[in-house]
Amino acid sequence: MGTDAFEVGVNFAKMVAIFLMMVQIVPLLVWVERRGSAYIQNRFGPNRVGPLGLMQLLADAIKFLTKEEFIPERGYPFLFYLAPVVAMIPAALAFGAIPLSMPVNVEAFSMLGQHWGPYVFKFQSYEIGIGIVFVLGISSLAAFGVLLAGYGSNNKYALYGALRACAQTISYELAMGLAIVGVILLFNTFSFSEIVTAQSAPLNFAFLGHKVEWSVLPNWGIFYQPLGAVILFSAMFAEANRLPFDLPEAEGELVAGYHTEYAGFKFNMFFIGEYGHMLVASALMVIFYFGGYTVYPWLTPETAPKIMAPIAGLMGWSTTSTAVSLLGALLLHVVFLTKIVFFLWIFIWVRWTLPRFRYDQLMDLGWRKMLPWALLNTVVTAVIILVMRHPWGG
Amino acid sequence: MSQLLPVLVLAVFVIIFGVALLWISSLISEKGRPDAVKGESYECGLPSDTSGSTKISIKFYLTAILFILFDIEIIFMYPWALTYGDFIANGFGLYILGAMSFFLAIFIFGLFWEVKSKALEWE
Amino acid sequence: MWEAIGFYALAIFLIYFAFQTITVPNPIHSALYLVLTMVGLSAAFFNLGAQFIAGVQMIVYAGAVMVLFVMVLMLFDLKAEIRAFSQGLFSGGLKVMSAALLAGLAIGAANSSVAILDKPVEAARAPADVTRQLGLLLYTKYLFAFEALGLLLLVVAVGVVAVSRIRGGTHAQR
Repeated sequence: MGTDAFEVGVNFAKMVAIFLMMVQIVPLLVWVERRGSAYIQNRFGPNRVGPLGLMQLLADAIKFLTKEEFIPERGYPFLFYLAPVVAMIPAALAFGAIPLSMPVNVEAFSMLGQHWGPYVFKFQSYEIGIGIVFVLGISSLAAFGVLLAGYGSNNKYALYGALRACAQTISYELAMGLAIVGVILLFNTFSFSEIVTAQSAPLNFAFLGHKVEWSVLPNWGIFYQPLGAVILFSAMFAEANRLPFDLPEAEGELVAGYHTEYAGFKFNMFFIGEYGHMLVASALMVIFYFGGYTVYPWLTPETAPKIMAPIAGLMGWSTTSTAVSLLGALLLHVVFLTKIVFFLWIFIWVRWTLPRFRYDQLMDLGWRKMLPWALLNTVVTAVIILVMRHPWGG
Repeated sequence: MSQLLPVLVLAVFVIIFGVALLWISSLISEKGRPDAVKGESYECGLPSDTSGSTKISIKFYLTAILFILFDIEIIFMYPWALTYGDFIANGFGLYILGAMSFFLAIFIFGLFWEVKSKALEWE
Repeated sequence: MWEAIGFYALAIFLIYFAFQTITVPNPIHSALYLVLTMVGLSAAFFNLGAQFIAGVQMIVYAGAVMVLFVMVLMLFDLKAEIRAFSQGLFSGGLKVMSAALLAGLAIGAANSSVAILDKPVEAARAPADVTRQLGLLLYTKYLFAFEALGLLLLVVAVGVVAVSRIRGGTHAQR
């Protein structure tokens, strides 16, 4: 985690901050969801507590905390309590591996009578060499939180809900994995930051062995992988158990699915897991197809510090390269968050627009439509890349 | 270890965070009296009937097993996608596409067969 | 040095989880311990620098195979099985046999790893490079095994469907 006390401390603080960021986005998203759904359905939504109903979040949190502790008599208490904790882990670990901005360069300085060497802090909890495979592997563990909840409550509806959730998650994981193969074919790397770096350039590709550059558009994955992006995004809805894929909690059939018996903060922790999955899904979409934290030609790791340097000077802050680098990274972080918020809004928008599938339609879509299309996407991408990049001349 | 340690630290932190939340909420929350009717599993108000084995469609098992098989095939495409550019750059593009196309043909045939055999149909 | 400490710490946890897997009477708990074993094994691979193998271990074993196991176990009424496997001569015998198998495996693994220990240690490479090497080897030197594996998976898929169609056995009377 670092070589000296300062680095270890900063890395740990960063990790905690990123995790808390994931946790605190839940009440905000719940508020957006309630106000947004009200807007879509021509209602008011929560607007009494505080400005725009924002204090409703706090009221909800307090209510969650004061709810009566309840364990179903037939349930298995240990597994019942374990499930909400397990539900939070995969989303938190996966979100930690995603780069949220460019690295911050900290110059050598002295503090407490000691010299502290120059550091480079990544704007993520930890960088993993095989980022994509790591995130896929960690998110595939999400099924266990659901299964534990279903089994721990020992309730018919919870069990059926868990079963449905599992079958659906694993079915759509195939289409998701195949859609990502297209991205890896394109960029030839497993590392998120390398993918983002490749996209912060003008649109450039090989055309029958010759280099072609077209500086009007950024080099975003969406221009090469439109079908893959659609498949990945739809599969993400199913992975996060969101409408129109929320069969596990179809209230007309299963009451509330696997969290039928949960109330209070335990229920809230499932929410943290679900919204965490949405957050990871949006972040993956942004990184794979929409340039990550960069917008070529205006906002890239090269230009961001140059933009922020005069602003830092104007505000009267020191214009050391550490401060400028930090401000630049924060600017790019805001860019990244803006893109993520856009996708999160699409998640909410779709939820309140489309009706729910039937279970057979859901499985049909996953196995017989999306999987073949994802396969086609892979094959076509491979063939086109071969034709375009092959050194035909020699 | 340098890459594994932060992951483990974060996992432990999340577990501690979750357990602390559960503990705090159990401290603050209203204490309910045990009640035979309240403790019953929720089945829409009817007396609960969860005893006995539940019968589940074999489709769920079939889906899970087929998922494992296809998942393994997809995982084998990841190193292929990673090294595809290297093979092409070295002039072995046709070779690597041919090597994979046989594998892909088996994959597609398998999927086609599963669809034809109605194993993936949920009436 | 840190690698070694991490390895031995993980190894102790792994052995504990694996031991619990075979001694816990409740099949569900046993399966959950097996999940922990798989995840721990993935961490051990990761620690040793085989990051892609760690990812595969996580996706295929922890994420797919164990989901199937846990799913199947949760849907059966296991009270009779729990009683049958928690005490009695048969169950005790099985446990002894499992322990013997485990001991055999451990001795075998230790024996065959002595040869590896004698080899000179290669310089550590960047993790992405290891995966690249794996890809280059897999699609050139081991191409035949790779294609054969594709065929094998196809056979298994067909077999699964065939088995699920059988109307017979213990459920024939229903």
